[in-house]
Amino acid sequence: MKGKESILVVDDDLDFLKIIKRILENKNYEVDTAPSANEGTCRLKERFYNAAILDISLPDADGTELLSRCLDIHPDIVAIMLTGHSSVQNAVQSLNRGAFAYLEKPLDTETLLSVINRGLEKQRLVLENRSLMEELEQRNRITNTLLSVSQAVSESLDLQQIVDSSLEKVAYYTGIKASFIYLYENDRLVLKGTHGLSPRQSAQMAKEIQKDSGIIWRIFRQAKPIIIDDFTNLTDKNLEPLKKKTRQSFGGIPLSILGESIGVMGVVTSDTNHEMTDNNIELLTGIGREITIAVRNAQLYEAASSAKALQELDNMRTEFLANVSHELRTPLAVIKGSANSLLQSDVIFDESTRQYFLQSIDKDADTLTRLVDDLLMMSRLEAEALEVKRKLCKLSEVIETIQDRLDNLTVKHQLQVNIPDDLPSVNIDDIRIGQVLTNLVENAVKFSDDNTNIRIEAESNDKDIIVSVTDQGSGIPPEIHEKIFERFFQGNGSKAGRRKGTGLGLAICRGIIEAHGGKIWVESQPDQGARFTFSLPLN
Amino acid sequence: MDKKRILVVDDDTAILRLLSTNLKARGYEVLTATDGEEALETVQKEYIDLIILDIMMPKVDGVQVCRHIREWSDIPIIILSARGDENDKVKCLELGADDYLTKPFGIAELMARINTAFRHRGDASVAPAQSSFTCDGLEINFAKRRVTVKGKEITLTPTEYALLQQLAVNSDKVLTHSMLLHSVWGNEYSSEKEYLRVFVGRLRRKLEPDPKNPRYIHTIPGVGYHLATS
Repeated sequence: MKGKESILVVDDDLDFLKIIKRILENKNYEVDTAPSANEGTCRLKERFYNAAILDISLPDADGTELLSRCLDIHPDIVAIMLTGHSSVQNAVQSLNRGAFAYLEKPLDTETLLSVINRGLEKQRLVLENRSLMEELEQRNRITNTLLSVSQAVSESLDLQQIVDSSLEKVAYYTGIKASFIYLYENDRLVLKGTHGLSPRQSAQMAKEIQKDSGIIWRIFRQAKPIIIDDFTNLTDKNLEPLKKKTRQSFGGIPLSILGESIGVMGVVTSDTNHEMTDNNIELLTGIGREITIAVRNAQLYEAASSAKALQELDNMRTEFLANVSHELRTPLAVIKGSANSLLQSDVIFDESTRQYFLQSIDKDADTLTRLVDDLLMMSRLEAEALEVKRKLCKLSEVIETIQDRLDNLTVKHQLQVNIPDDLPSVNIDDIRIGQVLTNLVENAVKFSDDNTNIRIEAESNDKDIIVSVTDQGSGIPPEIHEKIFERFFQGNGSKAGRRKGTGLGLAICRGIIEAHGGKIWVESQPDQGARFTFSLPLN
Repeated sequence: MDKKRILVVDDDTAILRLLSTNLKARGYEVLTATDGEEALETVQKEYIDLIILDIMMPKVDGVQVCRHIREWSDIPIIILSARGDENDKVKCLELGADDYLTKPFGIAELMARINTAFRHRGDASVAPAQSSFTCDGLEINFAKRRVTVKGKEITLTPTEYALLQQLAVNSDKVLTHSMLLHSVWGNEYSSEKEYLRVFVGRLRRKLEPDPKNPRYIHTIPGVGYHLATS
């Protein structure tokens, strides 16, 4: 039940004031009286009255003038004018200016009470309509705001963009300047963004909030908003950076949907216009829901993308296993088939064919050995357990030790080696670097036609020696220049009749060169050959 | 008698040479191809009695070659694969390959499988005494190696035909897995039960009005198969 309705009576007849006060108080109205227009005005400025009974002729002012002031201050007030016989004209004027009724003196009590009653009844209807209207407008505003926020935050699938644009929209639509968002990650809340804080405040905000610590965590866990009208005296270290000397309110809104919390949005305001009213909390909670949906979508998208990346890696591994199986079984098939052929009793092969079988066995046993070495090397690189036994040596010596192997590889190509005599010695594992060069030459052979040139060259600058292997083969499209150094990657375009490889060669090269502190890269265009270069630091 | 011509398809030249040498030494004429495309061209241009086909090859792989060839030819295909995966094996047999050998392999084993394939292709000695078989719309003319269902001619690969013939000659008897593997493929296949499953499936798809509820070839779970005349 609402409180009593209040009535102000202004009349210079003090006895009249007394009587009427008693009559009205008996009818359970709250009554104030004033003997002059000035005093009446003061009362009106102090508080709201539901009704005012104003004498039309006052010593210090015309009653209609007081009526105007009264309606200026309280447009909804029920104003009843009291007149003598002589001033009916004035009374009519008063009605035109907005008075509810006029009554002639001497007053008939019944008539007065009935007029007051009707006036207040009408006022109640007006006020009720107005508040319904206001509520409708507020709903409308909330709905529109939510729609705008929802549109704004759902435009992106990037988590950071969503957080930033959410805080911006909160400021734009609610007028709240300072805000922040924490999101739940691995059993703690992580600060994802702030808006309207000074750089110092931002820097002081806790980057992470551990489990069960402070108000922010509580909001997250309970998934309910918490409002603190004045947090100047509150001791919560997570809110400390936000404090100012003046009074400030804090609102913590859970970012949650269907009972599942994903984080907390906090807003701080010192502006009394933006105090945390019920409507504001409702609006912020609604905005929180929209942010939650957008963040959830972004997180799901991220999860799906990383699942896709894992799936890709898994596919590469599966393909790798199939390739390794193929690569192992092919030389094994040659070895077994050749040995088996020699053992068959139904056919006697001539001497040269027998020789050929033996050579095949010999050659593919070597192939198998290299393959096993590659696999071992890769697993060492993956375990970061590659040992590099450095010693000071000349590149020309390294090449000398692998010369036979290089000659074998390039029987159908022209191999040119061009190493300057004054190339400085370098501190390297000669066997490993020999492996890199062999691998690069092997690739060059694999991807270029017979009778083309393959060049090994070297130069030096202050810091490095730089070694390159250049071929005139099918080249490499720029979009896979990085990818070819990834393990398991298989390029297309090796010539028919050649074995495919494990997709490990260049990954191994990169592993070895990086273990030496150097770099390896490729320059190539399709059909224009390729140049693989690596650097080895002199120190 | 003319030499039988075998096409060997493999992207590895060492394997190609190993196979050619052995096949030639045993009286076969050998053609080679190093990728799927070349293999398909050769099959279309030349008369070939049998194909030995590698799976992992550049351009067109062995599986695709097998599928393409089966669209218009029942020439025997032996897959030679460096992948030992059981799934690959079943996939290739489903696609119409006659046999599947995993690298590394023994020369004698390969020769035995080539002989099996040729035997299915119509060695007169395996033709049964009776001249034909009839059962509820299914007709087999053993002399002409001709199969019809409700008057419509059905094209079978040699291995499919050999299996059907075995079932028909012994109709209404239950033939165990090992009996069928032994009589249709040979001794060395006694443990290759999935061959049977795949080839029975292939036969059902070609013969049965409703392959899921077979009218002719019935499965006796865990034991074998029989062709029921009633």
